[in-house]
Order: sequence, then structure tokens, then C-alpha cells
Amino acid sequence: MKPPWVRPRAVVGLLAVCAVLAVGPLLHGDLYAHNLVTLTFLGIAAALAWNWLGGYLGQVSFGHAAMFGLGGFVAARAQISLNMPMVPAWVFGGLVAGLYALVWGHPTLRLRGPYFSIATIGVGEATRLVCTYWDWLTGGSSGLSLPMQVGLKYRLYWYGLVLAALAVAGSYVLRRSPLGLSLLAIKSDVDAASDVGVSSTRLQDLVLFISGATMGLCGGFYASYFSYIEPGDMFGFDRSISWVLMGVIGGIGTIVGPALGAVIFVLVRQFLIASYPQLYLGLYGVLLVLVILFEPLGLTGLALRLAHRFGYRERPDLAT
Amino acid sequence: MERFAELLIASILLAGLYATMAYGLGLIYGVLRIVNLNHGGMIMAGAYAGWWLHEELGIDPYLALLPVALAAFLVGVLTYGLLVRRLPRGAAGGVQSLLLLFGVWLVVRNAAYLMFTGNDQTVRTSYSTLAVPLAGALVSVNRLAVFAAALATLVILHLLLRKTYLGKAIRAVAQNPESCTLVGISVERIYMLTFGLGTALAAVAGLLGATLFPFNPSFGAGELLKSFVVVVLGGLGSIAGTAIAALILALVEVFAILVIPAYLTAAVGFVLLVLVLVLRPGGLFGQRVLG
Repeated sequence: MKPPWVRPRAVVGLLAVCAVLAVGPLLHGDLYAHNLVTLTFLGIAAALAWNWLGGYLGQVSFGHAAMFGLGGFVAARAQISLNMPMVPAWVFGGLVAGLYALVWGHPTLRLRGPYFSIATIGVGEATRLVCTYWDWLTGGSSGLSLPMQVGLKYRLYWYGLVLAALAVAGSYVLRRSPLGLSLLAIKSDVDAASDVGVSSTRLQDLVLFISGATMGLCGGFYASYFSYIEPGDMFGFDRSISWVLMGVIGGIGTIVGPALGAVIFVLVRQFLIASYPQLYLGLYGVLLVLVILFEPLGLTGLALRLAHRFGYRERPDLAT
Repeated sequence: MERFAELLIASILLAGLYATMAYGLGLIYGVLRIVNLNHGGMIMAGAYAGWWLHEELGIDPYLALLPVALAAFLVGVLTYGLLVRRLPRGAAGGVQSLLLLFGVWLVVRNAAYLMFTGNDQTVRTSYSTLAVPLAGALVSVNRLAVFAAALATLVILHLLLRKTYLGKAIRAVAQNPESCTLVGISVERIYMLTFGLGTALAAVAGLLGATLFPFNPSFGAGELLKSFVVVVLGGLGSIAGTAIAALILALVEVFAILVIPAYLTAAVGFVLLVLVLVLRPGGLFGQRVLG
């Protein structure tokens, strides 16, 4: 009999963590921590969405801010000009962002090698430029302001929790289901995968779309959270890099690694890098180099190594 | 018609720079199968090196070419020896080498930002504004000099790859590293030297570019993309292929000014890349023989 691809332990664990986080704010009145956790949820969802492409398919994107920004601006514009309610506007922004990802990603994912990654560098930059001058959508460099709603920022905590939980669940499905096995096959050897009937073209596009759409959704969430967005920030290069870094710190291609990376990243940025704004790019770079050289699986690799020392052996079919 | 001639000449002169820039990326990719994402960083570093030598020591940018190239060569050798050498090769190593070199690029960028601030800089020489009439158009002397220097660099490179033992060894490693070990070529050493050569080319291109365009620490991202477009378009085959591809890119870019607003020209290279990937994916990187 085949082992089930979702372990009950994992489901229970996820639900328990979500339950604790859901009631947490009712027990304390620390608004600073509340907001920090909300932003962490956003980081988790975005880092996992990046990882679906960068980790599961091995197609690293250096330009995911393009989808984040586009989704954010479409969602904001839909709320301002069409009076669309918040959540449908997020979904709408996500769909547009996912389709946009397909437009440039479809041709570049077809080819083996680093074409996709290189293209993303251009996509991020080109999208930022075009959107900075596209006044109708983005309000130009002065940006867009959403109507203020009292208490919305506080309530968005639970929306963020749902978003992050969905992203974690999505990661499980994309990694452990039969679909996940196909993705792994594509990543290891495209030719061998197609020989056994795995349609790499369709699946790669699917993952790209889901990743881009989730990114757009996150952008819409971000827009509602700050109720003011401008292109230079939404499409910023350091935004794209931050997701790469979350993934790398936590462990590329693992399930919860990038989520862990996002937590660490948000905390480190808050307490350390904020004091050295002129050094943050270099710090990101040094971190990338160190992790890749010494522990390519990031924190997950470190944890596995420790676990092995204490005699733990993971089931081979579930090895990350 | 006069404007047409002007734009045509501008494209050809720009193409020389693009070819030099792209060959550095193509050389490393062809031999090591690694995309040097720090290419953009080294282009930027070359620009700042030339600017610094000119501002502080009063050295003419064209005289600075050789020392900057040598310094960049050493940087490349060190980058390979200290970092890239430790990575796995092939498909599995692809993601890791991309991320590693991207990290190096971020560090280089941040270093430049700390040393020279984020302000735009330009290299201004006494002949920066001189122009001579050529084929009915006024052409800047400096642009001609950049073209000449780029051409000279490519000719030297061609001779190096064709006539010297080192060049033949590099081409041999590009074709088949395993056989090279059998005939006594130290593949690791060739990898290291190739990485140095490619890095030096990036710095030379950056230095030449600095005499034409203003630059700041994020200079190089667009140039990396353009280099990649040229490599994809021209293949790794020959210097001639690279030159033709560079000319195509320069023509498209320069003539795009006529039909689209100026802020969109930055996107032209990217659109061209996607078009090439869609229309002519089969022949990309097809030939693996350098020279």
C-alpha cells in the first residue's frame, strides 16, 4: 500500500499552530508585536510562493516583485475605481499577476538552463519602469492611497494568518502529492520526466501561475495593510531579493524551510538591518554566499544534520 | 536621411561595446557552464575603477584599460578559487551558482555604494565633447575611441583563443573536459583562468561604458541583461556571431527611440530576449566551440 502523502502529524501540527496564533492577539495588547506578526505572515506566504518555483522546479526568480507590485496595484485600483470589496480585489489582483507571470515566463521556462532566472532580472526592472510611468494604474511615482478604514489594520492579522496557512498547505500539496513527485521529476531531469509521461510544459506553467497569483495576492494584502503604495517600493529590487533570501536561509525546496526563513528574516530586518540601512544589500549578499557555500539547505539542512546526530532517520519517500 | 545615417553610425559604434561586454559572459558560460551573475557587478566595478583613476590620479581612461583589466582578472581568479570552485557543476549546481554569484554581486554593489555613494558619476575627459564629421553625420571622438578599443580587445581575444596554447586549451575544455584531463590539461586551472578572462572583459566593457554613460552602483543590471541577449542571439560560436548579435541589439535599441518613449527603451533588450527565446530557441548556445 502506498503511504499517504500527508502525515496526520503534519495536519494536526499546522492546525494547532494556527489555533494558537488565531487566539494569541486576544490574550495580549501589544500592538507592535501584533503588526510584526502580521508582516511575518505576509513574508511566509510570499517566501513559500517563491519557493514553489525556485525550490520545487529549480527556477530561481530574481524578479518576483513584478507580480507582487502588479497584484497590489490592480487590487488597489479595483477598490478605488470599481469599488470592489477587499478580498475579491485581492483575488482579482492575484489572477492578473498570475497571467502576467505566464506572459513572460511561459517562453523562458521552455528552455533548459538559466534563461528563466536571467529573464526575471529584466522583468523586475522593466515592470518597475513601465509601472512608474503608467499613471492611470499606479498613480505614477506619487502612488495610490486607499480609503482608510478604522481597525482594518488590526483585523488584517487574521487574514494574514489564513493566507500563510493556505500557503503552507499549498506547499504540502505541491511537494508531497503525486503532482509534487512530477515536479521533482521535472527538476531532476526534464527528458526522463517526459519519457514517463510527465507533461513538463503544463506543470511548469501551472506552478508559475500559482506562484505569480499568490505573489499578486500578497501584494493586494500589502496594499490594504499600508493603505498607501507607490511603485518604487512595490517593485523594488530589494523586495525581490528578500524572498530569495528567505528561501535560501530556510532551505530551498523544502516545505516549511522558507516559512522559517521568513520569520528569521523579518525579525533580523526589524532589529538589526534597520539600524544599518546602508549595509543591508551587502548583508543579504554575504548571507547568500555563506549559506550556499556551507549549508545549501539552509536552516532545514542544519536541523536535519542535528537530528541525524541524535539518531533520527526520515522516511526515505518523504526526504526533503 | 541624415538622421538615419546618424543613428546607423551610433548603432555600429555601440555594438562594439556590447560585443566586448557579452563575450565575457559567453566565455565563462561556454567553458564552465555557469552564468556569471556578478558580470553586472564587474561592469560597474570597471566603470568606478576608471572613474577613480581619472579623478584621483588623472589617468586617461584609455590608459587605465590595461591595469583595470589585470586587476579584474585577478578578482575573477580569486572569485573562482575561493567561491565558485566549491560548487557542484551541471544542472544541480545551476541554482547554487546563480545564487552564489548573485550574492557576490550584491556585496560588490554595496561596497561601491559605501565607497562612492549612490550618486550618478561620469568620466569627463578633455575630448569628451569633441566630434568629427563622418558620412554626413557628426560623430563623437570618444565613441570612435570606445569602438576602436572594443575592436582591439576582441581581436586580441580572437588571437589568444586561436593561436596560443592557453586559448587552444580553453577551447578544448569547452568541448570536453574529461578528455582534457587525459591529455594533461589541468581543467581546474583552465576554469580559473577563463573566469579571470571573462571578468576582465566585463571590467573593460564597464570602463569603456563609463566614458559614454553616467553610472551608479546599480549600473550593470541592464548591461548583464544585454550581454545575455547577445549571447543568446549570437551563440557561443564565434566572435563574428557575437559581433552580429551585438549589432542587432544596438540597432533595435537605437532605432527604438524613433517609435517609443524614452523611458521604455530600457525594456527593449528584455523584449528582444523573449522574442529570441520564442522564435529561435533551438540554435541557442548550439555551437560549443569557442574562437
